[in-house]
Amino acid sequence: MSNFIPGQPLVAVVQRIEIKKLRQGDNLILGFSIGGGIDQDPGQNPFSDDKADKGIYVTRITPGGPAETADLRMGDKIMQVNGYDMTMMTHDQARKRLTKKNEDVVRLLVTRKSLEEAVKNSMGGYQRQ
Amino acid sequence: MEGNGEISDTDSGIILHSGSDSPMTHMKDVTTHTRAMKLKHQALQERLEICLLELKKVCIREAELTGRLSDDYPLLPGEKPPQIRRRIGAAFKFDEQSFPRGAEESELSFVDAELALQMKIYEAVRKLCEEVHPSKAVKKSRLQQCKREEKKLKRLQETAFQLRLEHGRSSPLPAFNIAQHDLGTSDDSSLSDSVVQDEEVTSQSSQLSSGLPDPGETDPPRLPSVSSQSFSKSSYMSPSAAPQNLPQTPSQSPHPSLTSTPSFSSSPASDLPPIQHSPWTESSLDQPYQKNRKSRSSNKSSSFKTELLPPLEAVFASHLKLGHSQSNSTPSTPEMRVHRQLSLRIPNPESPFERERGRTRSARRRLTEFAITLPDAPLPAVNYANYVNSEDSNSEHSFSSYNSSPCQELPCDSPKQYQSAFVHSGPGGSCGTQGFPSTGFYHNPRQQSSPGFPKAYYTEETAYRPELDLARGYYTQRAPCAPNRYEYYYKDPAVLHQRAQRPLPPDIRLSPSPAQWEHPQYRSNGLPKQVVNEQLTSWHHRSQLKSPRSCSLDRQGAVRVKNISARETAFHQNQKYHEQVIQRRALQREETRWVVDDGSHFMSQV
Repeated sequence: MSNFIPGQPLVAVVQRIEIKKLRQGDNLILGFSIGGGIDQDPGQNPFSDDKADKGIYVTRITPGGPAETADLRMGDKIMQVNGYDMTMMTHDQARKRLTKKNEDVVRLLVTRKSLEEAVKNSMGGYQRQ
Repeated sequence: MEGNGEISDTDSGIILHSGSDSPMTHMKDVTTHTRAMKLKHQALQERLEICLLELKKVCIREAELTGRLSDDYPLLPGEKPPQIRRRIGAAFKFDEQSFPRGAEESELSFVDAELALQMKIYEAVRKLCEEVHPSKAVKKSRLQQCKREEKKLKRLQETAFQLRLEHGRSSPLPAFNIAQHDLGTSDDSSLSDSVVQDEEVTSQSSQLSSGLPDPGETDPPRLPSVSSQSFSKSSYMSPSAAPQNLPQTPSQSPHPSLTSTPSFSSSPASDLPPIQHSPWTESSLDQPYQKNRKSRSSNKSSSFKTELLPPLEAVFASHLKLGHSQSNSTPSTPEMRVHRQLSLRIPNPESPFERERGRTRSARRRLTEFAITLPDAPLPAVNYANYVNSEDSNSEHSFSSYNSSPCQELPCDSPKQYQSAFVHSGPGGSCGTQGFPSTGFYHNPRQQSSPGFPKAYYTEETAYRPELDLARGYYTQRAPCAPNRYEYYYKDPAVLHQRAQRPLPPDIRLSPSPAQWEHPQYRSNGLPKQVVNEQLTSWHHRSQLKSPRSCSLDRQGAVRVKNISARETAFHQNQKYHEQVIQRRALQREETRWVVDDGSHFMSQV
């Protein structure tokens, strides 16, 4: 993930995560916060290895919230939401995508360091570039 | 480089080994021994050289990044330290006056210094902005940066000015002088290459980076020292981020050619990121999207909602009541008509409130459209009137209740009603003529209405003209069963001309003459086509979703029943609003009927 070359296919190890939004009155609660987006300064992202990575990252998980239940973790990078690519989105677009009122469930594809490493190790560094 | 080191390492290692072996041969031959020693020495020297070279390179690299040549740089006795040019960064010359020496008024002088700096930054950025660059993205980002810096500058100027005022000093001159002065001097340093080419970087120059990401919309970074007259802006880039920026800089030569005193350069990055970044923030997803982002239109509509909701509820309630009593009409009918009317009104640029209404009622419309097309809001009275007018659709019959003659409507009443309506819409001026008269006009043909109405009618018509095709299609589809007044709108002017020339059925005696069609308002009232388009398409869809209703049933059958309830509501509820509502309803009902009458006629012409 970290060495993404524009124009080249991107290889990422992703995990499927399905979050059922919690309905609280009018609000749908996801139970996590995101940061990042192509309109934000990636250098300040504390979660990314590659400081040029403008992806959407999970910055906070509300304890006991739907996201935690779904095993989303802080620092996860969100790759897709309900099939929509999230790696080239502005922060706002990402928020919109995630907080759609008419969707009670969001299916995420996330990638995280531990995942990558685990796969890399199991593949004997095959993925290393 | 690492590779080099390793290689030399192993090389020498081998030789060292042979050297360590040499004690064995030591006894044998002095010549071989010296030879071995020589070899060893040579190898060591070679290795040393390589290491030194490597060290030099590293030092230079470091200096290029930090702007300071490390003390570890290996200098041969006669050798001068190489002059390091920082790869990125900009240097600005400042007037001495911009940095008052005294420690007094520290805040002011501080702001002054910042201001002076910001001036330079702004100038540089502006120049960058003006520069021709092939890449659009770069241009854009430069423009954005320019704007940002300008904003910062203005803010600083303001603070400086205010501080000065506070301090009783009136002239913010120093800072402004700098800006002017600098226009000339900074010309020679081309920021586009992000290279400092200023040999006279003295104690008064300061180096700064203009392309740094701005951490937050906070104040510009505090400057470490003002009194020393040279200050540097330390880099915001984390060390790991800085190297990434390097490849983007055009000048990559590791060998410094131009000079600048290294010790004064401090910040690495002035190359512009392709996208202007806002600071990295996080946002919780537990709140609905709209709430956190304050979009203008949503704010607007919500405020309107609170403002206008009570009347709406009241009207709607009565509306529902009436709808119930109106036995035969399909339940969806009122809705449909409401939508239709609202969407038709939408293009009217003068009645934004009504649009907001429309939005709250039929939430399908998109906010942005409203925001874009809204001019200034007219007076609430107008809105309300319009709103009421457009609001109801179901209870037209109620009107007749007053007159107790359901079929022959109110020749006496309606003008008065119209008047009252008009009074309401009066403050809005053109709004009134556009919103109301349309109903009034339709109502009035039977009642010899005033000549002013057709005009309004035409203005409305203009707005819809772009949609003629769509509307026509729609009407041809459902023509036989549910004609209504709106089809009238969608006739081509040409068709209407035709019609006007033909013998007219009694109902449309007052239909516009060709001359009226040519009325100035007819053409002048252009609207953004796509807005109209959007509205009409949505309306079209909505209307098609409804089942075509039978025109006869809800038209004549339920009239009397409704009358009662209408009267009740009128009496029991807020008079001011309801009178109007009911009147409006009556008017609309009448329109409808009127159009129904000659609907087939129109249809045949399309």
